[in-house]
Amino acid sequence: MLVLGIDTSGYANAIGVVDGERVLADFAFQTRNESLARIMLNIDSVLGENNLGLEDIGGFGVGLGPGSWTGIRIGVTVGKMLAYCTGKPVKGISTLEALAFCARDCQRLICAIVDAGARETIYAALYRSGHNGIHQVSDYYVGDLPGLAELVKEPITLVATDAQKYLSVLGQLLKSDAVEALETAPGGAVVALLAATRLESGENDDTLALAPLYLKESTARAFINKYKRRAQAVP
Amino acid sequence: MLVLGIETSCDETAAALVADGRTVLSNIIANQLDLHRKYGGVVPEIAARRHTELIGYVINEALDAGGKSLSDVQAVAVTAKQGLVGSLLVGVAAAKTLSYALRVPLVGVHHIEGHIFANLLSNPEIPLPHVCLTVSGGHTLLVYVRDHCRYEKLGGTVDDAAGEAFDKIAKFLDLGFPGGPAIDRLATKGNRKAFAFPRPLLKAKSFYFSFSGLKTAIINAFKHQLAGGEKLPFEDIAASFQEAVVEVLVAKTLRAARESGVSAISVTGGVSANRRLREVFTDTGDRESIKVYFPALSLCTDNAAMIAAAGHARLRRGYADDLSLDVIPNVPLEVQHAG
Repeated sequence: MLVLGIDTSGYANAIGVVDGERVLADFAFQTRNESLARIMLNIDSVLGENNLGLEDIGGFGVGLGPGSWTGIRIGVTVGKMLAYCTGKPVKGISTLEALAFCARDCQRLICAIVDAGARETIYAALYRSGHNGIHQVSDYYVGDLPGLAELVKEPITLVATDAQKYLSVLGQLLKSDAVEALETAPGGAVVALLAATRLESGENDDTLALAPLYLKESTARAFINKYKRRAQAVP
Repeated sequence: MLVLGIETSCDETAAALVADGRTVLSNIIANQLDLHRKYGGVVPEIAARRHTELIGYVINEALDAGGKSLSDVQAVAVTAKQGLVGSLLVGVAAAKTLSYALRVPLVGVHHIEGHIFANLLSNPEIPLPHVCLTVSGGHTLLVYVRDHCRYEKLGGTVDDAAGEAFDKIAKFLDLGFPGGPAIDRLATKGNRKAFAFPRPLLKAKSFYFSFSGLKTAIINAFKHQLAGGEKLPFEDIAASFQEAVVEVLVAKTLRAARESGVSAISVTGGVSANRRLREVFTDTGDRESIKVYFPALSLCTDNAAMIAAAGHARLRRGYADDLSLDVIPNVPLEVQHAG
């Protein structure tokens, strides 16, 4: 099955096409603030380069985040509307899983990290490589690096867009030889590969219900909830 | 031509089907009031998240309710200008995808231009040129409509929008959000002359409005009584406040019509649903032989039928956009038809 993968959670419009397990195209268009302006043109050029039309695509993979909130809304909306218009299935993929998948050949525990943008907060999750792909072995983590280090009890392979930034800090917190880093960005082809496997076994998402994986509530709601908790704490 | 309209510029996720710029086949609006009510206003991040969840359902519902399928859609019109950037972006992303996948023209519409067309949908007989006042929670704008898609700004607010003043006074009086309908209801039971609130810029020669000072004057006049637990004459405050806003809006708009030499006024936007505003506008207009038009109540607040109608007019004039269409959160109405 030909699957088109889209991930706009990072600094690029990442777009890839796979045929089952074979990667046909994998592009990352640096967008700065033009992710929305470029997205359809980027998709059209990736399809065109491969002499494909939208009608050749059998399913869609979408990076759900975590990542830039605005960014993931673009990819998720485009992905779900493409699936809706073509009547083909769609599968959402966690961007952390897509990152971890790039380290699937590593024997160590895989730790995928995405910058959460504010106050040194990160999104992370732990994965382990198995005989049929990678498996998430922790809950999603939202917090700082020292907090993440406490969850890790063994040598890890760290996967992130800016892995070097985290390597030195985590290296100090854990023993330095306990951390190795793989620097890579969320990729369209990886999202497409993961989606293809699932779509082929019939695990598609409800197209119209497809929604981003934010992992953090909006600031206003967080404020209200904190206020509520405080109010409840007072007898 | 069957146009699918999409509107997500603030807190309403909306989609509509309009045939030939005149006949509304469906007009679906999912409002998010329940999500924003406790904050007393629209929270941009919450609005953008909700749009992303709802957009597909709302578009699907617009097609179902209109008895049409995707293959019947001949063009897609979307609000791309003026609004919350994160909200606008969801509608534009969906519209671009539809245009690309269905191979139909795409047209970006300015939100205020949509409101102007809301009234043309309800009253196709409105003559051109005319003067149009758009009053809502986010906008207060007075324009000279020379022709469809040709606008000249006459004036607007220098601070709060008229609807924003309603919201803030309603919040002060603890009447809930949005404040317009609450004040409209309460005012029917109050005395409009109970308090002589200021009429900001009423005597000024310009066509600019200011509502921030009026709001502050009211809050300052009553905050101590309110804090002291005193029972305030809510009905009289609401009626007197509404009268002050209405008087300024009507006087300036009618003067704009006279000075522009037009015999018709179009009033649009959420505040154009206000009963007292409609009454005073119609009565004053009648005395001066100026006909005042209002949209159907269902088209006063944000909706996508008006976007589809405006999009249809723009397409007929050759203003189609390509797939690089982007959102512009803040751009004047009068300069945007050049592109």
